[in-house]
Amino acid sequence: MRGSMRISEIFRLVYLNLSQNKFKVILTSIGIVVGSATIMLVLAIGMGGRAEVAEQFKNLNAGAIDISYGGQGSFDMDSFMSGAMGNPFGGQGSSRGNSGRGNGSTGFPGGSAGGFSGGVPGNVGGFSGGTFPGGGSNGQQKSNPFGGRSSGDEVILTTADCEELELFVAGITDTTISYSSKASLEGGELESATSYTVAGVRSNYAGISNLKMTIGNFLTDEQDESKEKVCVLGMSVAREIFGSAYAAYDGSVYIDGRPYVVTGVLAEMGTVASGISPDTAVFVPYETGIKYVTGPSISPTVTVIAADVNSVDRVMADVETVLADSYEGVTFNISDAGTKMEAASASNETLTWLLVSMSVIVFIVGGIGIMNVLFLSVKERTNEIGILKAVGCSRKDILIEFLMEASCISFIGAVIGVLLALAVTPLVELFSVRVELTVSGALLSLLFGVVTGTLFGLQPAYRASRLIPVVALNQE
Amino acid sequence: MIRMTGINKGYMLGEEKLPILKNINFTVEKGEYVAILGPSGSGKTTLMNIVGCMDEMDSGEYYLDGLAVHETPQDGLTEIRNKKIGFIFQNYQLIPTYNILQNIVMPLLARGMTYGEAEAACMNTIELLGLTNRISHKPGELSGGQKQRVSIARALVGRPSILLADEPTGALDQSSGKDVLRLFRELNDMGHTIVMITHDSQVAKSAGRIVRIVDGELYED
Ligand SMILES: Nc1ncnc2c1ncn2[C@@H]1O[C@H](COP(=O)(O)OP(=O)(O)OP(=O)(O)O)[C@@H](O)[C@H]1O
Ligand SMILES: [Mg+2]
Repeated sequence: MRGSMRISEIFRLVYLNLSQNKFKVILTSIGIVVGSATIMLVLAIGMGGRAEVAEQFKNLNAGAIDISYGGQGSFDMDSFMSGAMGNPFGGQGSSRGNSGRGNGSTGFPGGSAGGFSGGVPGNVGGFSGGTFPGGGSNGQQKSNPFGGRSSGDEVILTTADCEELELFVAGITDTTISYSSKASLEGGELESATSYTVAGVRSNYAGISNLKMTIGNFLTDEQDESKEKVCVLGMSVAREIFGSAYAAYDGSVYIDGRPYVVTGVLAEMGTVASGISPDTAVFVPYETGIKYVTGPSISPTVTVIAADVNSVDRVMADVETVLADSYEGVTFNISDAGTKMEAASASNETLTWLLVSMSVIVFIVGGIGIMNVLFLSVKERTNEIGILKAVGCSRKDILIEFLMEASCISFIGAVIGVLLALAVTPLVELFSVRVELTVSGALLSLLFGVVTGTLFGLQPAYRASRLIPVVALNQE
Repeated sequence: MIRMTGINKGYMLGEEKLPILKNINFTVEKGEYVAILGPSGSGKTTLMNIVGCMDEMDSGEYYLDGLAVHETPQDGLTEIRNKKIGFIFQNYQLIPTYNILQNIVMPLLARGMTYGEAEAACMNTIELLGLTNRISHKPGELSGGQKQRVSIARALVGRPSILLADEPTGALDQSSGKDVLRLFRELNDMGHTIVMITHDSQVAKSAGRIVRIVDGELYED
């Protein structure tokens, strides 16, 4: 039977050595401390980013498609050609406010036609359904109750567009239209007029945006139709103006000097990916807002809800086609929640990987540091190794002892690193970076620290264990 | 017990090999007490390291207790050092960060004993060497004579077949040196086989047999 040291006894020696060289242990482990702290923070920041994205999108309907008109004068040759040639009533879309300036300035016939018919109040312009791909030849007539205010030089989406989309795009469950602008508010505990986001919305906006009420009710169709001066406050707004949602309920605020009754306060919704932040907004009925707050020149967003999340792409294409027919040569911003979500998580993922590779580099640098220190320490202790060999400790015993020392040092370093990360977290949060600390992140950075330290400790330990006793003993 | 024939050992000096041990034939029987006497630089330590299985030889055959040392790989030599050889170094070679007891139990721990077992097993030896009230001191806190006794205790605890001592009195004053020699006598009387190196013919006289080494060549008296 060959004698070999018991692990428990090796561990005793390791403890002995480490406890007598505390300062050296700390020095050796600095690389691991920094590495572990970095990886822990990086994971926490990555998780934080992920959580933030998830939170931003939790209220978002995955099937939601936002359509807005961002620029002006955008001109799309293809849609113009199809419009001009495929649609004998080229100007019909202009009744809904086609950009007379944009098209007109380019001097294309479609544009001037638009400018002309756009000026005819209430002219709805019947159109041939055949111009819509797949639309069939229904020859349907439609009326535009708001046709009278379409002569501005901006494209303004209207409720009529919602109706048209609902009619001609298959697989839509709901549509709504909303806009937002800034207005000054007074009342409650406000000492002076303060600017807030005022959003004009339809009654179904709450359902589509998954808004929940803390108290009271959301805006109704009747309030919208009769342009009542009522409003629903976001939670933050209610707190700022009235102190609480309960104090706000049934109170009144002055928007641009006109009193509005607060009919409800929303529940706290958190940050959102895009669009109106409900917490910090004041919601008024769509028509009320146009009448008293914004005036007719608004840039609304139409939101369409696709019934099936998987058909979002098809619905978007159809929406584009329908709109192209109504507004020749106008390009709309059409975006869906799913794509935004994917883009956001993808960029978040990229960031996480970037941070992770950064901390891996930190680790390698730390590992090389630990290897150097271990080399020095092994060199310093060559005589000790010679003695151990002389009295009969095997290569394996010595290898295990030095490896265990290395992994203990790195474990200590990793623990300190994790604690350091915990200590630094509030500082990082000061820079409004979201940090989500997790147990698995802590364990992973511990593991990483120990593995790196041990791996880098392997080489010096291996070299030390292979020396023949006289050589080790004679080294000074 | 020890049979060495035709041992050669040299060190590279630049391109050339400088021979240190030249065709050494050396035999030690069980229970013997042998002194190797020679001037400084004659190759005593070099020879002792080979006898103690701590260095490699260039050529020759070495049998220890019938084991062919010259054919044994490193791991085997480790075991031979642990089980058969008690080595007392010229300069003690104690681990400075371990206390006396921890230094002394090392050969037993290397065999797979627990610290408790090893401690119990070496208490007699510690007592024999008068180190009982020093066991928790560090080597740095001991005198040269005490350190030498610790080194001897460590060599003895494993009950080796042979005790090898390189200049055990070299660094000690007259009286401590005499103490060590008296101890060796006693150990030899108890049945231990001892090989001792010295450059001092007075010291060599305390051994039962003297061999001389001059310029790497061994001569029986
Ligand atoms: N590692 C080495 N490399 C080169 N030469 C060496 C080495 N070790 C010893 N020598 C040489 O070998 C010769 C014998 O050395 P050794 O240590 O065996 O002498 P020694 O008889 O023990 O002397 P001392 O009484 O001074 O201890 C010396 O000339 C020395 O310089
Ligand atoms: Mg010598």
